[in-house]
Amino acid sequence: MNAEQNKPTRREETAGLIEYSTENLVPFGPIHPALKEPEYFKLILEGERIVEVIPRIGYVHRGLEKAAEMRPWVQNMYMFERTCGICSFVHSLCYGQAVEGLTMFQVPRRAKYIRLIIAELERIHSHLLWVGLMGHWAGFETLFMWKWSDREIVLDLVEAISGNRVHKSMNAFCGVRRDMPEGMEDRIVERMKHITDRAHYYRQIIDTEETMLVRTENVGNKVDQETAQKLCAVGPMARYVGLRQDVRLTDPYAAYDEVPFDIVTRNEGDVRALLRLRLDEIVVSANMISYAVEHLPEGPIRVKIPPVIPAGEHSSHCEAPRGEIFYYVRSGGGRIPERVKSRQPTLANIPIALELLKGQTLADVPVVLTAIDPCFGCMDRMSFLDTDTNRQWTWSGEQLRLYGIKHYFPERFKE
Amino acid sequence: MIPEMFRAMLEKPKTEAYPYKPIELTQRFRGKLDIDPAKCTGCQVCALVCPAGVITLIDMGTRKVGDRELPVKRPLFDLSSCIFCGECVDNCAFSALEMTKQFELATPNKEDLMMRKAVK
Repeated sequence: MNAEQNKPTRREETAGLIEYSTENLVPFGPIHPALKEPEYFKLILEGERIVEVIPRIGYVHRGLEKAAEMRPWVQNMYMFERTCGICSFVHSLCYGQAVEGLTMFQVPRRAKYIRLIIAELERIHSHLLWVGLMGHWAGFETLFMWKWSDREIVLDLVEAISGNRVHKSMNAFCGVRRDMPEGMEDRIVERMKHITDRAHYYRQIIDTEETMLVRTENVGNKVDQETAQKLCAVGPMARYVGLRQDVRLTDPYAAYDEVPFDIVTRNEGDVRALLRLRLDEIVVSANMISYAVEHLPEGPIRVKIPPVIPAGEHSSHCEAPRGEIFYYVRSGGGRIPERVKSRQPTLANIPIALELLKGQTLADVPVVLTAIDPCFGCMDRMSFLDTDTNRQWTWSGEQLRLYGIKHYFPERFKE
Repeated sequence: MIPEMFRAMLEKPKTEAYPYKPIELTQRFRGKLDIDPAKCTGCQVCALVCPAGVITLIDMGTRKVGDRELPVKRPLFDLSSCIFCGECVDNCAFSALEMTKQFELATPNKEDLMMRKAVK
């Protein structure tokens, strides 16, 4: 590898990384078997240990925020549902709540409970998927298969309620689209009991099985609460160092103020703490679902609202399985939004992921990167950096369009 | 682990036997769209709410209402873009649309997925 081609850019130099030798640079990604979606991490090694990680994001940027400015409000709900496959309901829920705040209509109580049930079912399925993936990267393929077969129980429940396993399409503005089917309550309670038993069993496995212990105990640079807060960690990445940070507790939405629950925190600070935390969260979610199903109030499930949303701006945040999701919506009083901004939790968890990788061996990189539960497809952003002058900026859609025209048809810009 | 291993040896595999056996679908499963042309009035609401741009309205002539000539439109469905959300079904005031249980829609021929029942 020619050292000239790998010369650090001006940006990296100004970040204080002049001393590293480019011969110790191992590129992780963008396409890598350990990553579900492409992102580029430049790992700088000292022997086997990682000294510095330089990320580069933007490989799966889809321009959803721009696309949202061209579609009516209801169509955007379906588009944002497809931001992510694993946390799709919470995206449509957060967008729906942001838009409902602009109208004067209230969500019926029964709809709030159904939203809670589906959101918690999604949390269970996401955590089961994640624990399976950790088993997969630790080499414990059997755990992966067992976990995903338990996940099928949850997906069957979701299919019975909504008709679809992944993109549930249950949310509508000011309500849900479908009611709970007849006879679902007993089935849900029985299945949740089964999931709780399995979660306890898996907890026992990760505490005693040699494979999981070796790959997850003391893996991941230990961070303290202050560092985690400074690096803006959200969701399980904040809770596993002991911070009591959960949107469901601090700013309840849907029916979270009526259903009793307590959040899970741990303080060991390694990947095994994350495993225990997510398995405990499965048990908490299963209890919440059983409570909500037994105390489901009667009433309507939806309030129909007109297709024109009044002018104004509103924002909403929710607790996705990965952390805090934030949506901002601005309306000009028309049929399409003026601006929608969605901030996904993995974007907030990237700085702490980089901190966790320091001091780890190269072989631990897949395990640690999967430990933050990454969903790069949701989070990607694009910004512009001029490496000569070190100026960084973002462009609006209109500026991008003009740049394209100027590039291909320079004669049109003789003004 | 050991009791789990014995249990796994005695149970049958969890793999679904599809396509050798039919797969069980839930009652709310959303498959291919179907229209009842007799009930459709051409109100265009389905085309306005569809998130995927599946529905185009075709002019089918005019009809006389009192002194006026009003256009008559009927929907043409390009089901290759359908995302199976069911918005059109929910919003049709005349219950002309429904989602069937048919999901094996892969075809090399795009014409199979164009639903022209209402525009004939």
